[in-house]
Amino acid sequence: MSGDGESDMEYSDNDYDDYYNSGDSDVDQIDPKKTDPEYFDYKCLLVEEVEKLLNELVEKLNTRIEITPSLAKVLLHEHGWDVEKIVSKYRENSNGLLITARVKPPTNDQPTPSTSSSIACSSSSWSTTNLPTTSSLSLHRLCPVCATSHLPDKFEKLACNHSFCKDCWAMHFETQIFQGITTQIGCMATKCNVRVPEDLVLNLVTRSIMREKYQQFAFRDYVKSHPELRFCPGPNCNIIVRSTSCEVLPKRTICEMCQTQFCFKCGMDYHAPTNCQIIRKWLTKCADDSETANYISANTKDCPNCHICIEKNGGCNHMHCFHCKHDFCWMCLGDWKNHGSEYYECSRYKENPNIANESIHAQAREALKKYLHYYERWENHSKSLQLEQQTLDRIKTRVNEKVMKAQGTWIDWQYLFNAAALLAKCRYTLQYTYPYAYYMEPGSRKDLFEYQQANLEAEIENLSWKVERAETTDLGDLENQMDVAEKRRTTLLKDFFPSTVSNTFT
Amino acid sequence: MAALPRRIIKEAQRLQLEPVPGISAVPDEQNARYFHVIVTGPADSPFEGGLFKLELFLPEDYPMSAPKVRFITKIYHPNIDRLGRICLDILKDKWSPALQIRTVLLSIQALLSAPNPDDPLANDVADLWKANEAEAIRNAREWTQRYAMDTTSM
Repeated sequence: MSGDGESDMEYSDNDYDDYYNSGDSDVDQIDPKKTDPEYFDYKCLLVEEVEKLLNELVEKLNTRIEITPSLAKVLLHEHGWDVEKIVSKYRENSNGLLITARVKPPTNDQPTPSTSSSIACSSSSWSTTNLPTTSSLSLHRLCPVCATSHLPDKFEKLACNHSFCKDCWAMHFETQIFQGITTQIGCMATKCNVRVPEDLVLNLVTRSIMREKYQQFAFRDYVKSHPELRFCPGPNCNIIVRSTSCEVLPKRTICEMCQTQFCFKCGMDYHAPTNCQIIRKWLTKCADDSETANYISANTKDCPNCHICIEKNGGCNHMHCFHCKHDFCWMCLGDWKNHGSEYYECSRYKENPNIANESIHAQAREALKKYLHYYERWENHSKSLQLEQQTLDRIKTRVNEKVMKAQGTWIDWQYLFNAAALLAKCRYTLQYTYPYAYYMEPGSRKDLFEYQQANLEAEIENLSWKVERAETTDLGDLENQMDVAEKRRTTLLKDFFPSTVSNTFT
Repeated sequence: MAALPRRIIKEAQRLQLEPVPGISAVPDEQNARYFHVIVTGPADSPFEGGLFKLELFLPEDYPMSAPKVRFITKIYHPNIDRLGRICLDILKDKWSPALQIRTVLLSIQALLSAPNPDDPLANDVADLWKANEAEAIRNAREWTQRYAMDTTSM
């Protein structure tokens, strides 16, 4: 119990940090942070910092094995920037490593004679033309691509020995770069898959715009191949996030620059407790079915008592009919009295126990019903989250008014913002519990999940109600409600965080 | 139009002077990058005896990009669709600037000898080719007779 108490303290500290937007002032380096299932060590880096980081790895590999920096880059790119792995593989079988990384041609059996013969063959394919070629000068050689003779110093070749003139190489590189291909540019020879290292490209491509493009695209490739690095998915944001916890987990990452919140593992919107595969499946499903679902779950509902049409204009599910003063739940349209006192279960989907014996048609209907049940709740919380932004704006105006009227200072009313921020955080998690529940197999684990989900849902509704009516709510009461809601949220996440329970599906 | 690269001139000359057996490729009088191609159906294939017209165009960045090739004569083949487009790796990602018009046309001729229904472009043809090869070959032979042996249109 005391442990829980500590973590609660911890969370209110976090909110405090969030509020002052000073996440970097980690004065309290207490370990209990590790007990937070969402906690994740990461750093937001600038492009230059990442370039430095990658260059350091290149240098590190360079000191360990004898290889040019460009080839080191190819190897690192191919092996997830794991220097130790490359070194051990190199010691084991250097030739094999270079072949699989496509630095060397795979022909183990006398690579030099076979390639040189293929060159001879290709140039002979041109020389048989009885055209007046410039072959009078024996020094000149024919480039098989442009069919023009050049002096030998105009030629360049890779480890595969396929030799072409520099102009043709440069043109080949530009064509590839134009298509967005950089680290995967290959040799020009037929059926040769040897890769062109960076230095050759940058030596031969002279147009600055193409050089810049190359470096830009190659950098993207390098970052994407590094397991600890992720581009911030925020629009026009250049931040690269580095995980400093040596693991790739589906944890919440918030970009320091643009505040975009995303899952470190898949780069999508943060989605705990649902895991990366399930959320993708769910979002695809929603995109496919949304027309029907939107049609069915319209934005308005009728009051269950007086049947007046009601449009929801706030985040709370506790509805209070202005017409007949009836209190009901927006979700299940049941009497709100049962929600307050009794066990809150309108978040739970009740499966038809006889479904296996029903007709296919009924099963399809049941499947749609089940989907709509979860979809409606998912959509509802997503909309509530948007509405809570409006609530926050309203709070701001209200607080300003109060401060102007000298009813307390600005500081006095800050707790309201904290409460609104916490409410949004809780609702966000709650929204992402629905895809998880949808794909869960029925059983005791699902029962437990839905029990915790219902608890969270109930506390969030209470909190939402109290935040919206903050003037009449006692401060202590509100703070207590915040603690309870956040505790429900973390309990659920602790028990069902994706990295620890990914095996519960299929 | 920009001057024709030496490479294209040499390829065209060589195609005239040392033609590939069973293949003719003649540059258009108006456009030296456009070739009128005729491929004869390989022996021991359902396309035997047919003369297949194709068009071949060398894009601006040839040989850095692959030539564009298309069958004009209708053909019943799992890797060639009804618009005459050809599914051939060297025309796409396996293109190498060291390949030439002649090597491309030889590969197309080889594709007629050895259809590859596992990598289909024309799905219906490929399905039949896999399910009932004898019937597919009969169809191919019939199409060859109907569309590729009418010398008057050549």
